[in-house]
Amino acid sequence: MNLIRHEIKIDESFYKVEEVRQLTNETFSLKLPKARFAFKAGQHISLGIHGDYQSREYSIYSGADDENLEVLVKEVQNGYFTPKLRKLKAGDLVEIHGPFGKFGMEPKDAETGKFVFIASGTGIAPFRSMVRTYPEIDYTLIHGVRHSEEAYDRIEYATDRYILCSSRDKKGTYHGRLTGYLKGCTFSPETHFYLCGNSDMIFDALEILKDKGFERDQIHCEVYF
Amino acid sequence: MSPNNTKKVAFKTLGCRLNQYETDALVTDFDNAGYQLVNFDESPDVVVVNTCTVTNQSDQKSRTTISQAARANNNAVVVVTGCMANNFKEKLESQDNITFVVENNRKSSILSLVDAHFSGEILHPNQLPQDVFRYEPVQKSLHTRSAVKIQDGCDNFCTFCIIPMVRGRAVSRPVAEVLESVRKTIENGFKEIVITGVNIGRYEDGDVRFEDLLAKILEVPGDFRVRISSLEPDGFGDRFVELFKHPKLMPHLHLCLQSGSDKTLLRMRRMYDLQQFRKTVEKFRSVYPDFNFTTDIIVGFPGETEEEFQDTIVAVKEFNFSHVHTFKYSVRRGTRAERLENHIPEKIKTERSAQIRKLSEENKKQYLTSFIGKTQQVLVEKITQGIANGYGQHYIPVRFKAAGVQKNTVHSIQLAEIRGVGENMYLFGELND
Repeated sequence: MNLIRHEIKIDESFYKVEEVRQLTNETFSLKLPKARFAFKAGQHISLGIHGDYQSREYSIYSGADDENLEVLVKEVQNGYFTPKLRKLKAGDLVEIHGPFGKFGMEPKDAETGKFVFIASGTGIAPFRSMVRTYPEIDYTLIHGVRHSEEAYDRIEYATDRYILCSSRDKKGTYHGRLTGYLKGCTFSPETHFYLCGNSDMIFDALEILKDKGFERDQIHCEVYF
Repeated sequence: MSPNNTKKVAFKTLGCRLNQYETDALVTDFDNAGYQLVNFDESPDVVVVNTCTVTNQSDQKSRTTISQAARANNNAVVVVTGCMANNFKEKLESQDNITFVVENNRKSSILSLVDAHFSGEILHPNQLPQDVFRYEPVQKSLHTRSAVKIQDGCDNFCTFCIIPMVRGRAVSRPVAEVLESVRKTIENGFKEIVITGVNIGRYEDGDVRFEDLLAKILEVPGDFRVRISSLEPDGFGDRFVELFKHPKLMPHLHLCLQSGSDKTLLRMRRMYDLQQFRKTVEKFRSVYPDFNFTTDIIVGFPGETEEEFQDTIVAVKEFNFSHVHTFKYSVRRGTRAERLENHIPEKIKTERSAQIRKLSEENKKQYLTSFIGKTQQVLVEKITQGIANGYGQHYIPVRFKAAGVQKNTVHSIQLAEIRGVGENMYLFGELND
């Protein structure tokens, strides 16, 4: 059978990179033009590099009404994908599919609820999106990192709402793993918890919260790999 | 098509209920267009292979089937469609023994493609319309029960699963179309319909969610039974449980657990934990004590420790699944699980799979035993050598002497004893109409 080979069409799922915003030696945010799709804070997208067959999922780091669509990326040493992302320059094309996912709250709940966000590393991404999307939201953000320099865009969070748990230095609010901090916390019974990060952290945090008497329906998880 | 020019078409389907439904709908299309439905070995002019790519084994079966179909029917038009056609499109297109490769979202127009081919028109599959719900209600079927497709695609992105890549984003069929399809399917003589899709629990058409749609389907007039194909175990309310009091809705769910370990479920990126699953099962069994649950289990997922696997063993026992569809984890390119560490050796996967299968057989025997002396309403699917085969309301396999009994009729059967072994175990009973 003779096949007609079509050129790849540059359609609306392609975005031009505006900036690679360096946050630490390993971590950067990829700033793209404003999203051409509506999304709920907490959702993720699938991101591919033009000309590359692979793609990865990233939580959206920007707010739903922001001028730019942004994702937060930590470079994996010797990885396949993230080193390529890091080498992108303004004007390069990336392919976006999405938004996907149910992680997040309804806008009306964001106005009235009480929330605790628990993140490890770049798992902070959906929570920045939530805080930027719902400026009045009542939240506490517990962020676990190795080094305090990984407190990405810390300045954007109210100091009394952002708890930095750093395990390798003492510059955070708490020295140690976030699960250690969590064990000592008390929360009001109506709190909803949103957990985002690696599966081990989420599993341990889930157990701690369940031990504190919270129902599984109050705990929402997004696992990063 | 004129009778003296009748073309013969053969179908082969691999994989899930959704694929079976889509093949059935294509069979109806070709039958209505005057094609003669034949087997692979009856020199068909057209061979349609509806493939699956959910595991390595599915890929292998699909490849073998394509090769056999092409080899046995040298001059036939070979159409390959289904999930493998999406996942390995370019590779399949480069094979000389395949005439057309048709992706899932264009599958419903295969008749137009084949008709165009025979009339000398040059039509590329890419020119076919994209519509995952374009299928006509099933008339001529390869099965007794007919599926009704309500949804396609999945946005869950479980780390092991290739389906979002090959079936695309979750989309729901409009309510009116679903109800019309149900009505026509019943008019076409089917006594049992199966609500089908990729992730049907996430059905959403405006304000109408899955439970709402199900309630509407149950209210369609007619003498028919409703089954639900496999379901993700998240987001059920009390109303869903209540719906099973409706006499048309059969007391069986295939609820996909995948693992009994919360740690493994997190790595799989499943949307529930064991306790939530337990709550669902307990909720149903508190109202319907003999409710039948079957499930899917993946063994040997990356990082699955012996302890985590034992959690699954305990869960399979606890929930008394009457059947466990056991999969050995296999890498799907492009999924997150491909990049996870600690992939499990094949030997261990095989051992774990064998343990689950053994347990599944024990559970099945126990479940079937609990029905001895009871009565089931059995829809007869086939009659072989005077013995009728079918399934009772609880989706338990039943056989009985078929004196005066026709295919596609429902009969009251008094269940007497278990016969057969392993996967082929069934209840034998007596006609008690």
